[in-house]
Amino acid sequence: MLAPKRSKYRKAHKGRVHGLAKGGTSLNFGAYGMKSAEPGRITARQIEAARRAITRHIRRVGRVWIRVFPDVPVSSKPAEVRMGSGKGSPEFWVCRVKPGRIMFELDGVTLDVAREAFALAAAKLPIATRFVMREGEGTA
Amino acid sequence: MPEITTLTAEARGRVGKGAARATRRAGRVPGIIYGDGKDPVAISLEPRDLSRALARPGFFATLVDVSVDGAVHRTLPREVQRHPVSDSATHIDFMRVGAGARVTVTVPVVFINHERSGGLRRGGILNVVRHGVEMSCTVDAIPERLVVDLDGLDIGDSVHIHSVALPEGVRPVTTERDFTIATISASSAVREEAAQAAATAAVAPTEEQAAAPAAPTPAA
Repeated sequence: MLAPKRSKYRKAHKGRVHGLAKGGTSLNFGAYGMKSAEPGRITARQIEAARRAITRHIRRVGRVWIRVFPDVPVSSKPAEVRMGSGKGSPEFWVCRVKPGRIMFELDGVTLDVAREAFALAAAKLPIATRFVMREGEGTA
Repeated sequence: MPEITTLTAEARGRVGKGAARATRRAGRVPGIIYGDGKDPVAISLEPRDLSRALARPGFFATLVDVSVDGAVHRTLPREVQRHPVSDSATHIDFMRVGAGARVTVTVPVVFINHERSGGLRRGGILNVVRHGVEMSCTVDAIPERLVVDLDGLDIGDSVHIHSVALPEGVRPVTTERDFTIATISASSAVREEAAQAAATAAVAPTEEQAAAPAAPTPAA
């Protein structure tokens, strides 16, 4: 799973995801991509589950790029613990995703395979996504 | 002479953020025509016509005749701004070009003969490093596309700009190095097969060695 090698601070504020993506909104590597249509927090597990779904569907012939990285630690308190006594311990890593962000890219496969792979991957994610492709791809 | 696209636009009186937003609220896409030593013209376009034109491969390497209230401007599309989520065009720039002007355009790269590439047949992946190449040429001789022939390429081979046939008078903007356009790399399935083959090849001699009679050890 993706996680930072080291971080400056152990715990982060929860934060909110406002606005639309400012960068990373167009395809940079592959011919096909998956774009977020909603704001949300994607966990490292979800990214890995989506990546596996794509890789298995394309039968390891194409190439996959992951364009998001989980760099926000999320803490939680243990079960049956009274409120107070400080913030809980870091449990997992998430990535804050704004609408419009390209999360995955894919190349080396046909249009149908890419669509199905991204549909399978989208089922692993907590936000709505959109399939995008390079202009002229499929029409040329 | 390359193909010329025609678009119809209307002039808009005001420029700036407020005017551009008002144009979008009215259901049109704001844009501008500039260059060639003349005053810029603020325009607005019909979104459906524009999106249809933008969907064509190599739109940014195509001359566009923009008709604004009867006057026709021969232009080259330079930039399109898009909505981050819907990818619909929110603004477009057209640069006016005079006859014979030399311009820099990004020409799309098209790959042919995939089935004749030994590397791709064996499960390799075409890794496109550049989907478009910046070219310097006159407006009358903008190449529609750069054709890259994959015939005979194997896994590990790459295509550089020097191996692509360019039309007369067209030269790449980057000339100081022979940059890569695409490579054929092994997929993870091919790599695993190769690793397994190497492992079995490494194991086989040891079995033979085990079957062979042990060499007499020299006396100390």
